[in-house]
Amino acid sequence: MPCPGAPARRPRVFLEDPSLKTRDTLVSYLFILPAFALVVVLLVVPMAQNVYFSFFRWDGITAPIFNGVSNYWAMVTDPVIQGSMLNTVVWVVFTLVLPALGGLLVAVFVSGLRGENFFKSVFFIPLTISFVATGIIWTYMLGKQLGVLNGVLALLGIPLQPSYLTDVPLNTFSMIFAWTWQQLGSNMVMFLMGLGTIPRDPIEACLMDGASPWQTFVHVKFPMLAPITTVVITMAMVNSFKVFDIIYVMTRGGPYSSSETLAVSMFRETFTLFHMGYGAAISVVLSIIVIVISAAYIRRMTKRDLLYY
Amino acid sequence: MLRVIRKVPVYLVLIALTVLWVLPVLSSFLVSFKSSEDFVSQTFYQLPSRMYFLTNLVTVLEQYRLLDNLGNSLLYAAVGTLVVVIAASMAGFSIVRLRPKFNFLLFLIIYSGTLFPFQMYLIPVYRLFNTLNLYDTRTGMVLIYSAICIPFSLFVYRGFYTTIPREIEEAAKLDGCGPGRSFFSIFLPQSLPPTAVVALFQATWIWNDLLFGMVLSRTQSVRPIMVAVATMSGYGGGNIPWIMTAVIFTSIPTILLFIGLRKFFIQGMVLNVSA
Repeated sequence: MPCPGAPARRPRVFLEDPSLKTRDTLVSYLFILPAFALVVVLLVVPMAQNVYFSFFRWDGITAPIFNGVSNYWAMVTDPVIQGSMLNTVVWVVFTLVLPALGGLLVAVFVSGLRGENFFKSVFFIPLTISFVATGIIWTYMLGKQLGVLNGVLALLGIPLQPSYLTDVPLNTFSMIFAWTWQQLGSNMVMFLMGLGTIPRDPIEACLMDGASPWQTFVHVKFPMLAPITTVVITMAMVNSFKVFDIIYVMTRGGPYSSSETLAVSMFRETFTLFHMGYGAAISVVLSIIVIVISAAYIRRMTKRDLLYY
Repeated sequence: MLRVIRKVPVYLVLIALTVLWVLPVLSSFLVSFKSSEDFVSQTFYQLPSRMYFLTNLVTVLEQYRLLDNLGNSLLYAAVGTLVVVIAASMAGFSIVRLRPKFNFLLFLIIYSGTLFPFQMYLIPVYRLFNTLNLYDTRTGMVLIYSAICIPFSLFVYRGFYTTIPREIEEAAKLDGCGPGRSFFSIFLPQSLPPTAVVALFQATWIWNDLLFGMVLSRTQSVRPIMVAVATMSGYGGGNIPWIMTAVIFTSIPTILLFIGLRKFFIQGMVLNVSA
């Protein structure tokens, strides 16, 4: 125990000493200061500035010129951004179908199966690999001439040699597949965790009463998984809005911006074309979408926290 | 018997998926062992005529000077994580246990850093770094990586410190321990589990980052490793055996970390999702 041997009665006086209390308060703020300063200076203030910049026309060098909501209006009319929004929607929808629903199905079928640990490790492999590495691996897999997938097709005698990364809209789906390969494992872990917390009794009761495994799943297990499902769906959607690395590595958003999402368009407009104001506007819209989607979840979180406090 | 037969389709689907999940890894390894000539003249499943991995590795390291980038990323991961561990554990302790006025507000402000897409910060930080001469410096990279990692880490520490019984701290207080003393001699020594999660998760994240490295650095002596690897590939091409060698080589640290500390990794992932 620290501070041994101190008399037991003295501290009462000690705690009431006003000067010491002030010192403690000061210390308590000093403890928060480094984290707070870093986050405020490098994240919170920039975020506000970013909103401000989105109302300007600015090339990053000369002085910014105020142009009201023109950047936002330009987004609505810009065909490239329209395509990019469409791609973003495709990403979100298929992220829900493939890594999220896929993760649920794999978790349900794998749990309790003979060889559970083997299959779990298989879906775990990609989690250890960065998005950049995933993108490069799948660029090779999907190569037109020397790629593995087309090699397999040739082996099977299928006379198809698709260009997975240059044909529109195939390129977007190819990248969603690479993303699924990377992400399915983490969703599987979440669902397995959820399945682990479901009590056995109601399920056994259902099966005894003659319910099929499917009915048991739909009416008992799935409703009990609701909290985990909410988390996985929210995170899957939010993450698919943020996808950048895989697209950048596999297609650079191309050909001709055809496989861009909003996150990639923002980068191209800002750091290739130096349309800083326009880039800022795209990132603001992207953030608004992400916040709206996570709003329900955050509200639940903070409510729980407030209760705790 | 019937139960076994009913499982057959499940196994068939799972085996098909297993092939789909393992094939990329195996073929990537295979390709990194091939010379460029083998790569062009062979099909994907053929074994290389000679083991070329080391030759590829030496070529890649010399030609692209990847060791510089590896050193940079190692530095960012180590120093960044250290800064984050110190700053976040102190802040977490204060918010949960000292509870100064506005502690919840302060928490929310810091925690808001996990909500927004990184695109929201790029332009102002790029501008700020240019004015402060932090653009394309190692200090700048460490600072931004630390700032990005703090919100999640604070969440982890805050959650953990609420589980430490209050009595211990009150007893210490009665014995005359100030807040500083009680942090360093009671809370910090018990902080191994959250620190392992935070360190593992954030070091991996920093190592794997592409976006900030691309925006905030330009020269070889500052660029992190994933940016170097990503620019090797170019758009849809490059020398695949070389690139794959680089991918495998640069993934080794995180894969080793993962294998060694799998338990903490899963814990961190679950926390990340629930954050």
